[in-house]
Amino acid sequence: MSTDVMIYASDLSKNFGSFRAVDKINFEVNRGEVVGFLGPNGAGKSTTMRILTCFIAPSSGTARINGHDVFEHTLAVRESLGYLPQRAPLYLEMSVYEYLKFAADLRNLDESTFKKRARSVVEVAGLAQVLGKEIRQLSHGYRQRVGLAQALIHDPPILILDEPTSDLDPNEKAEFLDYLKQIGKDRTVLLSTHNLKEVETACARAIIVSRGRVVADGSLDEIKGKSGRVRYVVEVQESGGDSPYRGTGAPPRAKEVSDLLATIKGAARVNELPTDERAHAFELTSDRDTDLRAAIFRAIADKGWVLLELHRDTQTLEDVFRHLTIGEERRNRHVGKGEPPPVKDEDEDDEDDDEDDDEDEA
Amino acid sequence: MSDKAKKEEDEKKKKLAEEGDDEDEDTTSEGDDDGDEGDEEESDDSADADEKPAKAPPMAAREAPKVSASFARNLWTITKREFAGYFNSALAYIVISASMVLFGLYFFFYQGGIWQVDRASMSRMFDFVPAWICFLTIPLFTMRAMSEEKRLGTIELLITLPVRDSEVVLGKYLGALGVLVVQIALLAIYPIAMFKFPWNMGAFDWGPFWSSMFGLFLMGAAGIAIGMLYSGMTESQIVSYFATASTLLILFFVGSLVQFVKGWPGEVISFFSFQTRYEPFSRGLIDTRAVVYFVSVTVLCLLESFRQLEGRRWR
Repeated sequence: MSTDVMIYASDLSKNFGSFRAVDKINFEVNRGEVVGFLGPNGAGKSTTMRILTCFIAPSSGTARINGHDVFEHTLAVRESLGYLPQRAPLYLEMSVYEYLKFAADLRNLDESTFKKRARSVVEVAGLAQVLGKEIRQLSHGYRQRVGLAQALIHDPPILILDEPTSDLDPNEKAEFLDYLKQIGKDRTVLLSTHNLKEVETACARAIIVSRGRVVADGSLDEIKGKSGRVRYVVEVQESGGDSPYRGTGAPPRAKEVSDLLATIKGAARVNELPTDERAHAFELTSDRDTDLRAAIFRAIADKGWVLLELHRDTQTLEDVFRHLTIGEERRNRHVGKGEPPPVKDEDEDDEDDDEDDDEDEA
Repeated sequence: MSDKAKKEEDEKKKKLAEEGDDEDEDTTSEGDDDGDEGDEEESDDSADADEKPAKAPPMAAREAPKVSASFARNLWTITKREFAGYFNSALAYIVISASMVLFGLYFFFYQGGIWQVDRASMSRMFDFVPAWICFLTIPLFTMRAMSEEKRLGTIELLITLPVRDSEVVLGKYLGALGVLVVQIALLAIYPIAMFKFPWNMGAFDWGPFWSSMFGLFLMGAAGIAIGMLYSGMTESQIVSYFATASTLLILFFVGSLVQFVKGWPGEVISFFSFQTRYEPFSRGLIDTRAVVYFVSVTVLCLLESFRQLEGRRWR
């Protein structure tokens, strides 16, 4: 069993000056797992990956890759890894072929193995058209493909990819995720991303970090269940409009509906949602696992009101992510007033469009 | 620990002892602290023993004899890339050709040029060339060595490949040195053209010429090591350029002060000055003290660069 733990991190911490970028992170990744590594900007994702790939040393704690300690046996660790850093920093003046050859040489692949592997990674990454081009001339999407190709050139048992899809277009993303699933069968992949949909497509398991700590680790279903909140959306007819009002008695006022919903057993919070004058819409959150839909329907029907819509939202990964990480951020912001600002170097390139979108929605 | 693992380890130790000679070469070469070879031996008794035996011993046994070979191979790969990198950008061409034009003008026209010397000698040339190389060639060649990698983040990809830090530092150093050697070697065109072919203007005394070239090479080697060091300290090529150029110029021209400063300060200055160190070479003398001085500067700066690169892990 223990030999199947490909990535092992125990109490891993990293301080930049007085800023604690990674705070006692613990996790294990087994062979054949594709794990999504999630977290908001500055959560310590890249720092953790840099520790695992021996680019920086942890301040404390241990990590092992393929059974090799990242501190003691850095060469052995790096030999068993394929790593794609954020934004695929490549030598711009080299051609794609030269770069792959360079990476292969440093990985001690001999000529025939290189040829064989190169053919396969070029096909996988779709680089055949640009092999002779200088990397400088390539778009960011293509650069990322080259970065991926160099990470795969030696057929590593472990892949660590830091936002590998950030510059890919939707088609490329889908293709890439398919490929990840394929290779993930007998390899270990740790993949950091902001894009939760990607995690849902490609990964069976996710690790969510926030403020340098692991806040959730488990299969996606487990994580989705973790915040334990269920949300119901209830819409009640307010006035006739085009269609006549079909309820008994006078149409309800918003206050009445919200009071009624609040009395339902298990309802934790009731919020009004914006609608037009024809309906009242409410959002009801519950901490319980029990299904409240029947109770809601009964209560409204008993009043003689007209129920236009009632549905239960199961938590999306996005909700959980937000729930887990935003709370953390706020809490820490209060506590850490005197804390120095985060080191700029950390995750500096994280400001992706993806992330901005996420923030906007929140 | 299981018996099997013990046995394997014994075998490995034996093997290591046999290969000991090969290994020494590597360990002495560059204060290489990344080392796998030594560490692998001890680790088996440590806490992770249960995970190790299955994998580690064969790995170590495979690696040990290969260490120095892989060191050389990686070094060569990096050096080659660096060297090619210079010629992939216009910079090397511009610097070298502009220098050659300037040297040519100086050679033929400055204060009457070579004609005024009335001797088949290049010594005037070697008064000028070192200063020029300190001021322009070396800083321009070294300014991007580390700083650009840091700025673009390419260092992260390079270092997370299975390379030793010493290979990176030495490879980059040798790459830059290679370009400088090209520049210096091109100087041989002048005496060859003037005194061998197509013109043959007399018997040229090759001794001082080669010693000057050798001195130039040594000084350049030290200068490039200094430039590399500065390049590793900053992400800005401009800063790196000016730091290197001013340091080298000061180290060079401070020698001119020697005649005004008496006593021990003068001795200190002449000890450090590139100019006074270089001077014997241009007269045809190979001064071992100067050789030791230049080589020491080189080694010290390279060690510091190595330490600096390694230091990134702790910041």
